[in-house]
Amino acid sequence: MKKDIASYLILIIFILIPAALGIILGTAGFDDPGFYTILMGIRLPRTLAALVLGGALAVSGYLLQVFFSNPIAGPFVLGISGGAKLMTAVVLILFLGRGIHINSAGMVLASFIGAAISTMAVLFISRYTDRMSVLVLSGVMIGYICSALTDFLITFADDRNIVNLHYWSMGSFSGMNMGNVLCFSVFAVIGLAGSFALKKPIGAYLTGEEYARSVGVDLKLFRILLILCSSLLSATVTAFAGPISFVGVAVPHLARRMFRTVRPEKMIPACFLGGAAFCLISDLAARLLFSPTELSISSVTAVFGAPVVIMVLLERGRRHD
Amino acid sequence: MTEGIILETRNLTVGYGRKPVVSGVDMALRAGEITAVAGENGCGKSTLLKTLGGAIPPLSGTMEAMGQDITGLSAKERAKLMAIVMTRAVRPDYFTCHDMVSSGRYPYTGRLGTLSDHDLDIVEEAMEITGTRDIKDRYMSEISDGQRQLVMLSRAIAQEPKILLLDEPTNFLDIKHKKLFADVVKGLVSKGEMTVIMSMHELDIVKETADRVMTIKNGGILKQGKTSDILTDAFIAELFDLSH
Repeated sequence: MKKDIASYLILIIFILIPAALGIILGTAGFDDPGFYTILMGIRLPRTLAALVLGGALAVSGYLLQVFFSNPIAGPFVLGISGGAKLMTAVVLILFLGRGIHINSAGMVLASFIGAAISTMAVLFISRYTDRMSVLVLSGVMIGYICSALTDFLITFADDRNIVNLHYWSMGSFSGMNMGNVLCFSVFAVIGLAGSFALKKPIGAYLTGEEYARSVGVDLKLFRILLILCSSLLSATVTAFAGPISFVGVAVPHLARRMFRTVRPEKMIPACFLGGAAFCLISDLAARLLFSPTELSISSVTAVFGAPVVIMVLLERGRRHD
Repeated sequence: MTEGIILETRNLTVGYGRKPVVSGVDMALRAGEITAVAGENGCGKSTLLKTLGGAIPPLSGTMEAMGQDITGLSAKERAKLMAIVMTRAVRPDYFTCHDMVSSGRYPYTGRLGTLSDHDLDIVEEAMEITGTRDIKDRYMSEISDGQRQLVMLSRAIAQEPKILLLDEPTNFLDIKHKKLFADVVKGLVSKGEMTVIMSMHELDIVKETADRVMTIKNGGILKQGKTSDILTDAFIAELFDLSH
């Protein structure tokens, strides 16, 4: 118990430090006349985006790992972020092309539908294989297809507004305003509260589906609710920040090792805090490493996150030999 | 309902989809007894137990527990009536034996599944009964198959069922753990309220532990009755097509 509190405190410190640096560091200093505007209009929303969306993404990954009983499942590797991105791009281009403005909630809805379609595709594939490597490879392929289609759409869409989509489609926390922050926070809180409300059946589901059913879990309902929560969380992230790679896989794994449990009451808060810290640090790196040139957030998260996936695969491979 | 009968089926047909696997099952579990189900691989022992446990619906016929139709029970009521142990258990990383046994308290906990002191006492006691209390903080992924099945049995005990359904629980265990498992089951039944139905291949263990035996062959019940009456060498040869 004491150890857990210490672990949570460490995570909070890893959130506070990069968050503070993200707000302070940059080309404009305290004495600049426009500093307050830059702070409230650019740096604070960006920092909050990395914090809330990063946390949401990691929790979404944890839910998928529970669902597939697979420690390398995640919204990005299963192609769910890709589907969300494609659907958001399609809707944006269709509407913007006709001069119709859609609000943030509309974007989340489009993204959610895309995430749901991808999830359905992955579920369909999962009926034909028990091997997690096959499932993940299929998901990665779905992600590539969605990415290629999105690139195609963006390349051939000539509207000026859509040029900005290019950055979004590679993943970025930039360009947020406080209105966006309010909107994604609402969706994230709904998704997180929903996940926490599922903690009892999640705990039972970890014992395997047949045992879960035998103690009284309504498997069908539980699966639907779990996927809804996970899709809402990853769709919210994708609608605002584009696809962000490997956070959903790497963070739950690191959280498992840190807290030495898979139980939801510890993992949901641990994943949220860990995802927030991971994305804040990655975003800081993306902004500052080659300043003033900015890296895409996914390039940074991939550098940290992909090795973790390899580590998990090797670890499991060794154990099952 | 006959006195002392806790579960009764009449003309029960079990199977998958529309394909019957075993038909015409008339059986009665007597309270405080161990009933073994025997037969060849694939004869339908598992299908029968899965149907009784509610994992798959019966194709026709009735199943009653203490005079009440069990297909009409809610998932929670059914979970308080019956607990299962199957051949295989999942072994998630970082999931302790104590976590596993605690999951048996599911039908009794509130909305968020928080365990009360009473629940924790029952979990401890269930692990004490199977002798797994020493390993309660170890992960399911790092214990032996034999220990794992004893933990799964503790999980079922913590569920406080009236009926225990054991579906080939000892298949992968060494002889020491097979015996240990059977002894714990026998001890549970002799102590009180628990009634057991189990499918098992090890006929020597069946002879030692089961009060009654039900045998399945060619999609139906071949013979059932007291263990000593049923499991004669001649009948075992007939059941498994062994020629002498």
